[in-house]
Amino acid sequence: MVFKYDEHNKYHRMLRLGIITAVSLVVFLMIWWAISVIANNAAIPDPWETFAALADLIQNGDAVTGKSLGDYIAASLSKFIQGFLLALIIALPVGLLLGNFKFLREFTTPWIEVLRPIAPIAWAPIFILLFGYINGATLVVFIGIFFPLLTNIIFGVTKIDPVLIDASKTLGASNLQIFTKVLIPSTVPYLMNGVKVGLGIGWMCIVAAELYATPLGGIGFYVANMITYGAFPQAFAGIIIIAVLGLLTTGLAEYVSKRVSKRMGLDA
Amino acid sequence: MSKQKIKIEGDKWNSERVRADRTDELYKDIPEGDTLMSIDNLRVIYQTDEKETVAVENVTFDIKKGELVSIVGPSGCGKTTILRCIAGLLQPTSGKIMIGQNECSTPGSDRGMVFQDFALFPWRTVRQNVEFGMEVAGVEKEERRERAMKYIKAVGLEKFADSRIHELSGGMKQRVGIARALVMHPAVILMDEPFGALDAQTRNIMQDQLTKIITHSERTILFVTHSVDEALYLSDRVVILTKRPSTIYKVVDVPWDRPRDRTNPEFTELRRKILNYLEEQNVMD
Repeated sequence: MVFKYDEHNKYHRMLRLGIITAVSLVVFLMIWWAISVIANNAAIPDPWETFAALADLIQNGDAVTGKSLGDYIAASLSKFIQGFLLALIIALPVGLLLGNFKFLREFTTPWIEVLRPIAPIAWAPIFILLFGYINGATLVVFIGIFFPLLTNIIFGVTKIDPVLIDASKTLGASNLQIFTKVLIPSTVPYLMNGVKVGLGIGWMCIVAAELYATPLGGIGFYVANMITYGAFPQAFAGIIIIAVLGLLTTGLAEYVSKRVSKRMGLDA
Repeated sequence: MSKQKIKIEGDKWNSERVRADRTDELYKDIPEGDTLMSIDNLRVIYQTDEKETVAVENVTFDIKKGELVSIVGPSGCGKTTILRCIAGLLQPTSGKIMIGQNECSTPGSDRGMVFQDFALFPWRTVRQNVEFGMEVAGVEKEERRERAMKYIKAVGLEKFADSRIHELSGGMKQRVGIARALVMHPAVILMDEPFGALDAQTRNIMQDQLTKIITHSERTILFVTHSVDEALYLSDRVVILTKRPSTIYKVVDVPWDRPRDRTNPEFTELRRKILNYLEEQNVMD
């Protein structure tokens, strides 16, 4: 029997995408392998050495420090989550305030526009000097997540449909009720978008901070440490872990934000 | 609109926002057919950087209890401006709007409003939208639910009570908007081209539904429309405005019983007269 692809069959579409993705990954590995062969440099290990090192890392942990992969991931994630929560706790009220009050928004815009484009990792030396390794790194993550969150929340508040405010007024809502029952819910999808963008940046920030300041531990430390030992396959294995965790974080954020948007009736 | 400022003469905008449901009970002593709301010398001047534009000039009329009054006028004449002033969403330059003995200056639930683009809360279900006004007025949850369901049934949406707004068609959305206004029992219901965003067929169905709703309850409605046909089909009286600066050209009584027959020669004759007038006004622009 000849297989016939049917665009309207859900399983056919999934199968198609699955095959494309699998072939794409194989091609990716081939290119990687080719580069390592052509470069013929110890700093670029081939995929098979790397996967062997990865399997070893997962099974036996770090031979140098004796720590397990789980320890490293936990160290990175705990700082990441702290930085994220701190950013959320501060950006939410500040964003609602700046979105609501035009004067405050106009007054603080220069501050935000000056601080926002600075790469978060540029703050690392100063923060680590001022607040120590652990808190300094948390603050780097905080900076990375804070600005995308803040600007998205402000945008959400200013983008609220004025007719919804009119409607709530003619239904007798007080200003406080308009704030809690109309303004905040209508901002949630924008907040989620900020979370989505912020998580991606925040994950990059924590790894960068760990590479920069190795006493922090974490998966970034593992990569930096392996490079100083010249254990390049191990370093690459660490990079793969970073990529997979980053993918999981943004994938989770994407999923949650989609669900929230749908719940809030904004999946256009 | 955002660049424009409204010029204000006389008293400052004050008084508390009216917040309660069943505000129609405040006026239960006024017998049906007596004046419930009066609009006195309403004047709106828009101020832009360069000049002042008089949008509405000396508009005076009243609405009797239980009546449906329509406002029609040439396009861009300020029908909606008048309605927004009455709703308290726009502050007139001068003039007075009264319901019974109470002056209306800020928005309040005594003037329920139905919007052209529905203005429903997309994160709420149909029932939660209808409950919004009662919720902010502090009505108990059970009573809220019961009353909301009564009006959701009245507009034929009981199967969609727990649906979200984006799952509804335009006509269904506006029925939610109407239920949300009706359930509050406001003293007056303001409708701003409520069927303007709907297709012709849905429009006719909605007009018939509204006719049914108003013949079974004693609602007082002020209805803005650009359709003369719609105004004559629904209203007890039609207020015809001139072009800008809008003032009242004429108030026409519509005497026929409901439901009305659009093909009735008297109906078509009156419609033709009003349309001719509006066209004259538009040509002169």
